[in-house]
Amino acid sequence: MQIEIHQLTKVYQEKRGLLPVNLEVEKGELIAVIGHNGAGKSTLLKMLASWLVPDSGQVLVDGINLENRLAVVRKVGFVPETPNLFDFFSVQYNLEIFARLFQVSVSRIEEILTEFALLPFRKNKIQVLSKGLRQRVSIGRALLADPPVLLFDEPTSGIDFEMTQEIYRMLKNFHASGKTIIFTSHRPEEIKALATRIIVLHQGSLVFDGSPQQYFDSEIHEKLYQC
Amino acid sequence: MLIRNVITLTLNDLAIAFKNKTIYLILFIPFFVFFSLKLVDRTGSDFKKINIGLLQQELYAPAIVQAIKSADRIFSVFPVSSEGEGNRWLKEKKIDGLLVKSEKEQHSLILVVLRKESLQTLAIVESLAALQKAVEGKSVNWLVDIKPLQEGGMQKQTLPTWILMLILLVSFIILPAQVAEEKEKKLLLALLQTPMREIEWLMAKLLLGMILIFIAVLFLHLLGNFDFGNVASYLTFVGVGSFCFSAYGIFLGFLCRNQASARTLGVIFYLPHLLPSALSDFSQKLTAVAPFVPSYQFYEPIKSILLEGGGIVNLWPPWIYLLLVGLSFFFFTYFLMKKRWLM
Repeated sequence: MQIEIHQLTKVYQEKRGLLPVNLEVEKGELIAVIGHNGAGKSTLLKMLASWLVPDSGQVLVDGINLENRLAVVRKVGFVPETPNLFDFFSVQYNLEIFARLFQVSVSRIEEILTEFALLPFRKNKIQVLSKGLRQRVSIGRALLADPPVLLFDEPTSGIDFEMTQEIYRMLKNFHASGKTIIFTSHRPEEIKALATRIIVLHQGSLVFDGSPQQYFDSEIHEKLYQC
Repeated sequence: MLIRNVITLTLNDLAIAFKNKTIYLILFIPFFVFFSLKLVDRTGSDFKKINIGLLQQELYAPAIVQAIKSADRIFSVFPVSSEGEGNRWLKEKKIDGLLVKSEKEQHSLILVVLRKESLQTLAIVESLAALQKAVEGKSVNWLVDIKPLQEGGMQKQTLPTWILMLILLVSFIILPAQVAEEKEKKLLLALLQTPMREIEWLMAKLLLGMILIFIAVLFLHLLGNFDFGNVASYLTFVGVGSFCFSAYGIFLGFLCRNQASARTLGVIFYLPHLLPSALSDFSQKLTAVAPFVPSYQFYEPIKSILLEGGGIVNLWPPWIYLLLVGLSFFFFTYFLMKKRWLM
């Protein structure tokens, strides 16, 4: 088991968040986490990425408790919905600073720039790039240490059709290379095209966990998108 | 339509001002100025007597002592056990001047004051001259010399205040905004997804604050060609001060979710830390209150080093105090960071 989530809880002041959730993720799964706004999707991912400290419960990644951040940090890459990059610096600088902190070689930066078609933009400041390109840099950064687990929080939100298709291709490639992927989404076509497993969260609770086929055959899909 | 839109936008701007706490600043500044003015001694409307110190063991000319004591509407006489105690009282504003006997000329006096170029010194000299004329009818001064405790002209006299201002500016205005920006843009969270330790980020921020402060202070010295006094003591004190206030500023930044809040909070802390220290020279009441503000524990030693030739050996209590305050803020911030406070 690559990820084990036990009784994970996070409650905000407004009473939203994540109620105790238990989940097990096998290596190489491509999981879509869906639900309405405020269902707890981002909260779950942010806790897995150590952005949020859970109120209770624990997460194990390859048997290592997430509390031991330094031991897990190379195992989990997180791509947030809004790319959080140093806007006033270039693409290359952004990758270099994180490469230094990850202690990965300079050649890895070149690999990332090539893989994500960022070579023509390497000297461009982040603030002049489109959201799609920023998202590419953000994904590239998450892959610097080549983590086996990748988390994407609404990876195609606010991105045009072409870039969305490119991100789908990327996710499929990562999956094909054996990485475990968890992403949140609002788009049924995205879920259908990519996911090997679907998890539905509703008001902080896990209400569905099954294959895409089971999900689309169930009433929950209709209920979710009728509300 | 135009007016309606202007009103709508103004109300929206006011709402933003409430939201990013700017409004607290607007309320805080008048309150703070009012409170500070209350602490500054009243002058002008009420005549303030000159507090003059006389050494208990000194054999002054009886005529002089008699004249000063009888002029009780102008002078309040304070017996002082030694010159050292007198100097201390001068610094604490308990007395305005200390009269010691001149060794060169019999029946003549040396006036010891905090600063030579001050209104208080002028008032003492004028009053003593008038008193002497009234008693003896001569124009030869009892005073043969004025000895200031703090050397240097006005430029150098104000140097400690400018240095304090620079340090507080970096610590309370620049650093909190930068920390809050990293939180606001989720850059800190991105950094925390690398094998970087929390303490490493904190130490880097501290170092940044200290480097900025050193650059600002050294640049000021270079521009004004001001000397450093005791160089080792001075640099050590600027070092410990920059550590303390940088840690303080980073902590303030960590209490905020965004840059606007951090700037407001920074100014709210900047003013009280600057004014009591800068104004304490003018008020005995402020001198009594100021030591409770950490900036005073930096300002007084810096003043002593730059203006009175003081050294770090005599200044270890404020040195330790600043170090402890800095360490406390450092660990408070570390704790907040571990909790991912407002991130």
